[in-house]
Amino acid sequence: MISASFFGRYAAVRSVAIITARTSGFITSGRQIVCPPKRIQSFHSRCHSTTASTTSNANGDAKPCSVAIVGTGPSGCYTAKYLLNAFDKKSTTNSSGIHIDMLERLPTPYGLVRYGVAPDHPEVKNVENDFAQLFVDSNRIQFWGNVAVGSDAVVSLEELRELYDVVVLAYGCASDRKLGLPGETSLLGIVSAREFVAWYNGHPYFDHIGYEVANALGNDNNDNPKHVVIIGQGNVALDCARVLAKGAQGLKDTDIASRSLPIIGEDGVANVTVVGRRGHIQGAFTIKELRELTKLQAEGHGAKFVVLEEELDLGETPASKQELEQKGSRPKVRINKLLRDAAAASSNHDDTTTMDTKQVQLRFLLSPKEFQPSDADPSAVGAVVCERTQLEGEPGKQRAVGTGQLETFPANLVLVSIGYKGTPLPGLEQWFDAQRGVVQNRGGKVDEATAALGGLYVSGWLKRGPSGIIGTNIMDAKDTVVNIMKDLDASNSDDSKSDAREKLLELLQQRGVHVVSWSDFQKIDAKETSASYKRTDQQPREKIVELDEMLEAAGVASR
Amino acid sequence: MFSRSRQSLPLIYSAASKRLLKRSPCVGSAIGSIRHHGGPSVSTNAPTVTVHFLQPDGETVKSVPARVGESLLQTAHRNDIDLEGACEGVCACSTCHLILPQDVYDNQEEPSEDEEDMLDMAYGLTDTSRLGCQIMVSEEMDGIQFEMPKATRNFYVDGHVPKPH
Ligand SMILES: Cc1cc2nc3c(=O)[nH]c(=O)nc-3n(C[C@H](O)[C@H](O)[C@H](O)COP(=O)(O)OP(=O)(O)OC[C@H]3O[C@@H](n4cnc5c(N)ncnc54)[C@H](O)[C@@H]3O)c2cc1C
Ligand code: FES
Repeated sequence: MISASFFGRYAAVRSVAIITARTSGFITSGRQIVCPPKRIQSFHSRCHSTTASTTSNANGDAKPCSVAIVGTGPSGCYTAKYLLNAFDKKSTTNSSGIHIDMLERLPTPYGLVRYGVAPDHPEVKNVENDFAQLFVDSNRIQFWGNVAVGSDAVVSLEELRELYDVVVLAYGCASDRKLGLPGETSLLGIVSAREFVAWYNGHPYFDHIGYEVANALGNDNNDNPKHVVIIGQGNVALDCARVLAKGAQGLKDTDIASRSLPIIGEDGVANVTVVGRRGHIQGAFTIKELRELTKLQAEGHGAKFVVLEEELDLGETPASKQELEQKGSRPKVRINKLLRDAAAASSNHDDTTTMDTKQVQLRFLLSPKEFQPSDADPSAVGAVVCERTQLEGEPGKQRAVGTGQLETFPANLVLVSIGYKGTPLPGLEQWFDAQRGVVQNRGGKVDEATAALGGLYVSGWLKRGPSGIIGTNIMDAKDTVVNIMKDLDASNSDDSKSDAREKLLELLQQRGVHVVSWSDFQKIDAKETSASYKRTDQQPREKIVELDEMLEAAGVASR
Repeated sequence: MFSRSRQSLPLIYSAASKRLLKRSPCVGSAIGSIRHHGGPSVSTNAPTVTVHFLQPDGETVKSVPARVGESLLQTAHRNDIDLEGACEGVCACSTCHLILPQDVYDNQEEPSEDEEDMLDMAYGLTDTSRLGCQIMVSEEMDGIQFEMPKATRNFYVDGHVPKPH
């Protein structure tokens, strides 16, 4: 742990900044809140002092450093945590120091832990407590909320690189992969799973998604059972299916945003179908999320889980069987067994499966080909036409090839869940792999960028693409930290940009940006967890969904 | 719209968290209050044994006192061992993954289905892998070495990449 006396003992400090991602969509839909200069002065006082910064290092030991980290999701937080650890290890015998400023577009930290992880997975969000510990010592590390990096009205990447010794990009993915089918972007009722998740989790930039979902699920003035087709078979798709199946009844006591409950309905959606191009052995979901679907009925959510035996048979090609025998196949073997059992159970009850029974279907070897408009409203989607596929190729490299056989799924709402995608901040394009949506890097280091200005690094989904669980970001962050430390050790400059923090503050002050400090965020947290704000006692929190209200609760802006 | 009034509604847990709450007596509600390194609360004067943690570099060994009755995750955290416990010991993250010696593995109670499910996501899974938050220190563990999964430098290039999202 970082002792309060750290800065009493170690005066020399280098500054480091970590940045989180912005997409054009976010910047335009999110209002950039500006404020008069006095607001900024108060940020300074709210954040305690920054007096520890000096450049000299009397003992000639490890160099001080200023770091900016862009983004406060798991990758930004783990990067900060391991950077502090690395400096602590060095600092027992010398007087070096590190200043980390964590810049976050939103007034709230934790990225997808807050706005991605499903509301009915509160245990997963316990990691927020660990991340919160980082901000206890505000001298070494500071939270700078409501600071969207990359916007000229706030601070550009280049400016950050001028200010700080090290800049770490940890801003995640703010866009998605597209199917590229006609109608995908023009028909109403086709939404990316990323936006849908952000909406039900109360992300302030996604309120508008509610109108589209409400329209798709509710406004045809009849009680016909609604159909949702989810395209893609990762855990995000399964999260969406589970949330839709549980409905308000099953989610009241979670931190799901109240705005979404009336729209997904008390009992949820009657028919949810999750389709994937490949077979069940190639699915991207993990067993925990799959098992939850199999238990929906047993746990009182009334939704039958349906898997078709014949599709499992089709997917069990000789190559798939070999995949099940390969080293490291244990997760696949267990998924295969769970699905086989589920298929047997669903066929046993075939007689009871009618359109009246709420159900979640997991369908394999189906590739979406076309979106058909609804008869009632030609501007909205009405069905998804899929083509049956078959698997071809070597084990581990099987591809889904179309067979020409078509199946049509009625759809009031379509969620496209085929992957998040990173986007470059202005000035980052030259080092960006647009195909993969990641920043080109070696062990987290953006090689080419590092020469001219200070060091530029990357961490998390922006570094390796949108895969893995929260824990995957640990190893990933350690990898980036090892390379930052290596570069700092190798650098022969003794000059640290030790006044980075003051200069950034000055810049934001000039631009009238309302910065949300850690203690300001505590006020948002207090409001969200207060009994009077929550809809039920059992809810861990009710998120504030409007930016203005967040800033007001934080005490940095009034309406 | 749901009003924001206070109503008393039954708390919904997943079966997983319910069972875990039973397992780890001091783990409070899985929702809400801040808890750190959840697990049984073991008195400071509980008998101790010495256990060893082989570090991710595959070379360094750290030997630390473990209190009988606490979880290996708690032992690690009390002794500054770099083992993460992202979900605070409620079997929901797999960051506390440890590799047990075969005989110690064999002597444990079978892992629960939830633990098995989380192990499937663990990086560097072996046949004797367990979650550190689910293994309680016993007197027989004196002198035992637990292995932390190895760090691979370019893990996302040549290692196991879980792809759940
Ligand atoms: C729907 C969903 C459910 C998931 N569920 C689980 C789960 O149950 N268990 C699990 O282990 N993992 C889960 N994950 C995976 C986990 O969330 C990710 O591995 C992790 O969040 C990636 O971390 P990151 O820091 O790279 O990105 P993010 O978490 O996305 O963090 C990026 C941060 O940067 C900020 N930012 C963006 N642009 C800017 C900018 N221009 N300036 C400043 N800040 C910016 C964002 O606001 C955000 O706070 C889930 C993922 C998703 C999408
Ligand atoms: S600490 Fe999360 S599974 Fe053990």
